Amino acid sequence: MFSSLQNPRQAAAQLMNFGLILSTAFMMWKGLSVITDSPSPIVVVLSGSMEPAFQRGDLLVLWNRNLYSETNVGEIVVYNVKDKDIPIVHRVVRKFGIGPDAKLLTKGDNNLSDDTELYARGQDYLVRKDIIGSVVGFIPFVGYVTIMLSEHPWLKTAMLGIMGLVVVLQRE
Amino acid sequence: MASTQEKITVYNLADLKNTSDDAIPNYLNSLKFSQSHRLTDVRLALGYAAFVVAGACFLWDYKLGFESTKYYTAAAVALYTLLNGALTLWIFYVEKGAVYEGTAPDADRTTIRITTATPSATEELRNTVLTRPFTEWFDGAGHFVAAPFQAMLASSIPVVGRLDPKRVAAAATETSSFESKYSAEILQALENAESAAEVISTATSVDAAATTTGTPAKKGGKRRKA
Repeated sequence: MFSSLQNPRQAAAQLMNFGLILSTAFMMWKGLSVITDSPSPIVVVLSGSMEPAFQRGDLLVLWNRNLYSETNVGEIVVYNVKDKDIPIVHRVVRKFGIGPDAKLLTKGDNNLSDDTELYARGQDYLVRKDIIGSVVGFIPFVGYVTIMLSEHPWLKTAMLGIMGLVVVLQRE
Repeated sequence: MASTQEKITVYNLADLKNTSDDAIPNYLNSLKFSQSHRLTDVRLALGYAAFVVAGACFLWDYKLGFESTKYYTAAAVALYTLLNGALTLWIFYVEKGAVYEGTAPDADRTTIRITTATPSATEELRNTVLTRPFTEWFDGAGHFVAAPFQAMLASSIPVVGRLDPKRVAAAATETSSFESKYSAEILQALENAESAAEVISTATSVDAAATTTGTPAKKGGKRRKA
């Protein structure tokens, strides 16, 4: 089983195969980022604030280019709030002005009030560059895997370890 | 008869092929063939270059964020795609499953390349010269047995046979039963291969029926020992 590791070229090739699996996954993600112009082109819904449209665990596909029209009222967008790591997916309900400086107000379909509470201290509205993409497609429930993984971090380690072992120990 | 090497699972086709493949350089290098690692080295260079590009991209993305580096990221994605594409083409069209490339220590400096494949891929091999069941050189417990394997190589690849006449003689006595089955076409194919003086493919295949019937008898004994 480990005999293949004695030949340096073979060991290098097996390590390379493992590395290429990781790097290909990463570069596909980055390719999607570049195409959609979004730092995070696929996100998972973490809360029920957009029910009944999106449930916890839904996978959303984002698009961050304004090719034909600006981001308008009614669009569901994902935005980042300053100093908060977690992106939020909510609907644009008000828009004042046009262009990159237009002031946008968002609200979760399932929430009673708009998002001013969620914004950073002193922030009353969003501008276009706070948004990392508009939702253009979704796959129900698939993202639940990542919720499981982030809520139980040891699963991540275990999965990576198993994948690594399989690739290193098994040629082809 | 069993050698001192570790044993493999006879049901694992990949193990059978890999063990056999590993035995080829051992044998040929012992006959003073000089092995060329060109194919592997190019593959490693392409693969690691791609990996380095991805690693650099990861680093600047992690340190500087997406927005300020996205044009570099786009370039890195394109470069990665190119390198990975080149790697894929190299594996499919140049390496084509080659497991050994080397030059014989004879006057002609004959170069041989040995390609192996398991049955599922056999149809795609254009220069298939030889198909032999793994049972010829694995015993029922999964030990690799060098002698018949080397005899097989020596008797089917002329330049190897010339360097190791002892194995050819052994092959003639051991596998005389196979001779009628293979001789005519294979000898012709070998002749052609040698006149071309470079590409000799050997396709290894498994005779599934023989493998499974051969195994259980020995397996019982093994289990008791363990």
